[in-house]
Amino acid sequence: MTSYLQLEHYLIVAALLFAIGAYGALARRNAVAVLMGVELMLNAANINFVAFWRYLEPARLEGQVFVLIVITVAAAEAAVGLALVLNIYRTFGTVEVDRVNNLKG
Amino acid sequence: MTPAVELGLFGIIAAALLVSGVVVVASRNLVRAAFWLLPCFLAVAGLFVLLGAHFLAAIQVLIYAGAIMLLLLFVLMLTRDVGSVIAVSHNRQAGWAIIAAGLVAAATVGVASGYSWPAGAPRAPATTAAIGQALLTTYLLPFEVASVLLLAAIVGAIVIARSEPDE
Repeated sequence: MTSYLQLEHYLIVAALLFAIGAYGALARRNAVAVLMGVELMLNAANINFVAFWRYLEPARLEGQVFVLIVITVAAAEAAVGLALVLNIYRTFGTVEVDRVNNLKG
Repeated sequence: MTPAVELGLFGIIAAALLVSGVVVVASRNLVRAAFWLLPCFLAVAGLFVLLGAHFLAAIQVLIYAGAIMLLLLFVLMLTRDVGSVIAVSHNRQAGWAIIAAGLVAAATVGVASGYSWPAGAPRAPATTAAIGQALLTTYLLPFEVASVLLLAAIVGAIVIARSEPDE
């Protein structure tokens, strides 16, 4: 019994999700929305890690361990990034990234 | 689970994932965009379940759908214009960004579908216990470094976000 579902399916979905996230990170004005785009890109990378683990190297756990580390780093990135956003809001009164253009606020 | 059911489930989850992702980056209401992250993250967890990575699916729901989305909503709440539709939610590069994202998608989809990947293993092995073993033996160092990084990042976030007394 062979599965219709192949590695390509997951890779294509992950590639599309990555492109969506990249658009969000490039085109959004609000810094929090930029972070949302980055999170989408990280999720796309995680799908790829797990798909490669499942279809190419199911006996080795590197793919899954790497995803765990990525999720940890993403949590750290979100915490620091959002703290910076709060500080930017206090300094500039806005979180729109194209209006935050002073080096010394 | 028969292959046809698996394929159908994959189709549903993938469609939900991509649709919610588009809403997240396109919605002009930021709170709505943040809430649409929830189906997006849950769909990623669903893909993990389909791939046999059940532990990662649970972690995905806990960390992304729970913690990170909550953090994003808190910051949206603490900064201004909550729930209001912003007049200009995308910057002037939006057109170029669509072109860049489209090129990235075309290139990666082309490579992923053009290469002949080996057929997958018939069954995914059970992994949760094995991951626990690996994290405390082979990958002990990355595991500990990640915990130290998380601690440092959280302390740093508190220091950065703390309101400073007026001098």
